[in-house]
Amino acid sequence: MQDTLFTHRESPSSKGEGSGSLAGVRVLIQPNLSVKGWPAEAGSLALENHVALEDAAIVEKLHAAGAVITGSTRMGELGLGLSGDKTAEALAVEPADAAIVTDTMGEARYAALAAGFMGFKPSYGICSRLGLIGLVPSMESPGILSRSPETILRIMAAISGPDKRDFSMLSEGFPDFTAPLEKSAPVKTAGILTDCYESLDREEAAAFKKAAAALEKEGISIRELRFPDFPLFRKIHNVIGSVEASSAAGKYDSVRYGHRAPGTRNWNEMYIKSRQESFGPMVKAWLFQGAYFQFSNYEAFVDACRIRRRLLDQTNLLFREADILLLPTRRRKPDAFRLNTVKALYEAFELSCMANLTGMPAISLPGLATLDDQDLGLQAIAPFLHDPILPALARMISNPEKGNLDS
Amino acid sequence: MKYEAIIGLEIHVELNCPTKMFCDCPNIPGDRPNSNVCPICLWLPGAIPQFSRKVLEHAVLTCLALNCEIQPRSAFDQKVYYYPDLPKGFQLSQHHRPLARHGWLDISDNRGKPKRLRIHHIHMEEDVAKLVHETEGHTRISLVDFNRAGVPLVEIVTEPDMRSSHDAMEFLKALRTQIRYMGTADCSMESGTMRADANISLRPAGTDEFNTKVEVKNMNSIRAVGNAIDHEIERQAARLGAGKEIILHTRLWDPEKNVTTPMREKFAGPCVPDPSVPEIVVSEEWLKELQGRLPEMPAQKRARFVEQHGLLDDEAAFLSEDRELAGYYESVVGEGIPPRTAAQWIASRLAPALKERNQTVSDTLVTPPRMAELLALVEKRELSAHAAREILLLLFETDKSPSAIMKEKDIGQIADSGALESLLDDVLAAHPDAVENYRKGKKKAAGFLVGQAMKASRGKADPKILQELLQKKIG
Repeated sequence: MQDTLFTHRESPSSKGEGSGSLAGVRVLIQPNLSVKGWPAEAGSLALENHVALEDAAIVEKLHAAGAVITGSTRMGELGLGLSGDKTAEALAVEPADAAIVTDTMGEARYAALAAGFMGFKPSYGICSRLGLIGLVPSMESPGILSRSPETILRIMAAISGPDKRDFSMLSEGFPDFTAPLEKSAPVKTAGILTDCYESLDREEAAAFKKAAAALEKEGISIRELRFPDFPLFRKIHNVIGSVEASSAAGKYDSVRYGHRAPGTRNWNEMYIKSRQESFGPMVKAWLFQGAYFQFSNYEAFVDACRIRRRLLDQTNLLFREADILLLPTRRRKPDAFRLNTVKALYEAFELSCMANLTGMPAISLPGLATLDDQDLGLQAIAPFLHDPILPALARMISNPEKGNLDS
Repeated sequence: MKYEAIIGLEIHVELNCPTKMFCDCPNIPGDRPNSNVCPICLWLPGAIPQFSRKVLEHAVLTCLALNCEIQPRSAFDQKVYYYPDLPKGFQLSQHHRPLARHGWLDISDNRGKPKRLRIHHIHMEEDVAKLVHETEGHTRISLVDFNRAGVPLVEIVTEPDMRSSHDAMEFLKALRTQIRYMGTADCSMESGTMRADANISLRPAGTDEFNTKVEVKNMNSIRAVGNAIDHEIERQAARLGAGKEIILHTRLWDPEKNVTTPMREKFAGPCVPDPSVPEIVVSEEWLKELQGRLPEMPAQKRARFVEQHGLLDDEAAFLSEDRELAGYYESVVGEGIPPRTAAQWIASRLAPALKERNQTVSDTLVTPPRMAELLALVEKRELSAHAAREILLLLFETDKSPSAIMKEKDIGQIADSGALESLLDDVLAAHPDAVENYRKGKKKAAGFLVGQAMKASRGKADPKILQELLQKKIG
């Protein structure tokens, strides 16, 4: 019988080496992260029966630090959104300390909420993407789900750092994840984006306000900031993301691996039919959209790239006013685990895709912005490469003695 | 109406770097199919291109050899199209921001006048895989060989400055010479390491409009490029003459039938900036270092051979065209042989003999010191030119020294006046009529007498000395 949660599971006896900074830490991953010999289908028929030939760079680093990767969980098609993603459910039954979920528009932060975990997305370019089967090269990062900010920090210390094989990485200036959280410079001011706040409904806004108040109680001053272009984040992410995805998915041609439609008469037909059968409706729509910008509206794509730059500059200016920016991680609707249109996809991730478009680090904290039985998450975004202040913030406001999170 | 042809070329040159462009696989496309492949050039899931610095170095040197301005910053784009020879659905190329711009090469036009042909830009590009079409029983199958996928290329795009097949062929020859000098590519159209497509349009002579152009592909030699252009000019002129329109399309050159035939319109895909290969930055220091590595280029060498060695321009041109040949010539001159003697012997005797034997100056037994020794014997008049030519051919067969062969064959030149004098006396005694005629003023008789003396010496006598002796004796 097919496992409904896992695509691969190591036998329970396989333990770590017992040494290293992550000795004994149990990590779940998704099957879009290559582990030699493990199936790596990335939730897609386009990669049917594909088995990884080599370990991904961050898998090498996790192993080297003594972590145990206990299995990979079912995931959404090519990691676009969370439809079909089983990370949260697996964390509920599997005694894992952390999970790694690729964060392209907020998936790791959103999935963490569903598990009641913290979700952390690092700055772009500090973790190697070698061996990550992604869709949007300029926006994706490995995201870490954990209950403990210390574990997030330790995992980041292990998996970040230079890798000569990934040329899109920084070559220097990596954040230091080895200093203890208490030593991190404390967050003094947090900015709330009124232009984002105004898009929430009254109850969502109230839940978010309550969470922000929790920060104020810790002595963080809250400042309201204007960002009139905020609604552009999802639009620009959508244009650039779909263009990159359309190119990235070009390799799924059924020539070397993956599903090949039977009974076709020539290669052109083989291509078309195989791709037709391999992609689901939402991915297909997104790839079509990317191809549209590439082939028929390139100027709009060029505009989007220019606006991306402007949004990045504007965001950086906001960090003159505040140490971090606060937003909810998500709105109550739609449910990112049940998406079937690109429109719904961007509604689900409209508050989280900003960090991916700008490459900035972000963390989602559970249990602070709740609404009925739903957790909207409190999301904090830090300036590029200021990653460690986010787990430090998490530690500050989620002290186990206050009972709102595990140690 | 009289038409003028407007011709531009797009030339792909395969760089001879040890590795491919984005991975460490050997750059040997001809190996056993799919033996030089890895997750990157097969574009397996999770692979990331790793741009090779060595490739950049080769590309920059190639651009410098073609007098281009290197752009401090350039970038790769994805040329998007779907074909089984393209493992990722796009080809990495530099469309928006090429590596180099504004180059040129000088040629002589068909009236021998110097002409400068401009290069619009040069960009880097990866090659695609090779498709092999076969049948398996009754089923047609296509096999893909990825050895060539990711092999480094530069594409040279000229300005439409050429006006004839002559210009285009001269440009290709000059380009090949420059790049071979640089040593960064082999540039053989026959073996596919250089491929040239021509864009051709016609306009009424004397006007300056640009009309619809036609692209011609599939030429496998420089000669074929010339033939294809000539054919295409005729074809377009005939169409225009008949009042028909020229349609923008691509044609294939058929070398067997000497015609071009239309091919299906090739789809021109979009070019999108690639997010995985970072911006290419060529720093000023590094560029300076590379410029310092440029060898003396053919034009400079040719000028130096004329000015300093006193060679005629066509001798200098011939010797400077090939870097190895020029080096050979300079070594022979370095052994003390007068430049013009060395140049003439190398151009008219050695070069044809090498070609006949399918050898080059770098792999022949006739090394510069042996050639110099042979020419020194001629210079010292110990060997006649005729005998030296004979010995030159023997130098290809044996490693004996030229003087040893000369002794062995006893074909050294007799330059000793005493020996020649007695030889001449015998001849004069045997031909009193001729002596008489000579004295009467018949100059022809002198030629006869010297000829007889040469014959008696079995070709070994120095004819110049014989002449002098004859003058002295009966003049």
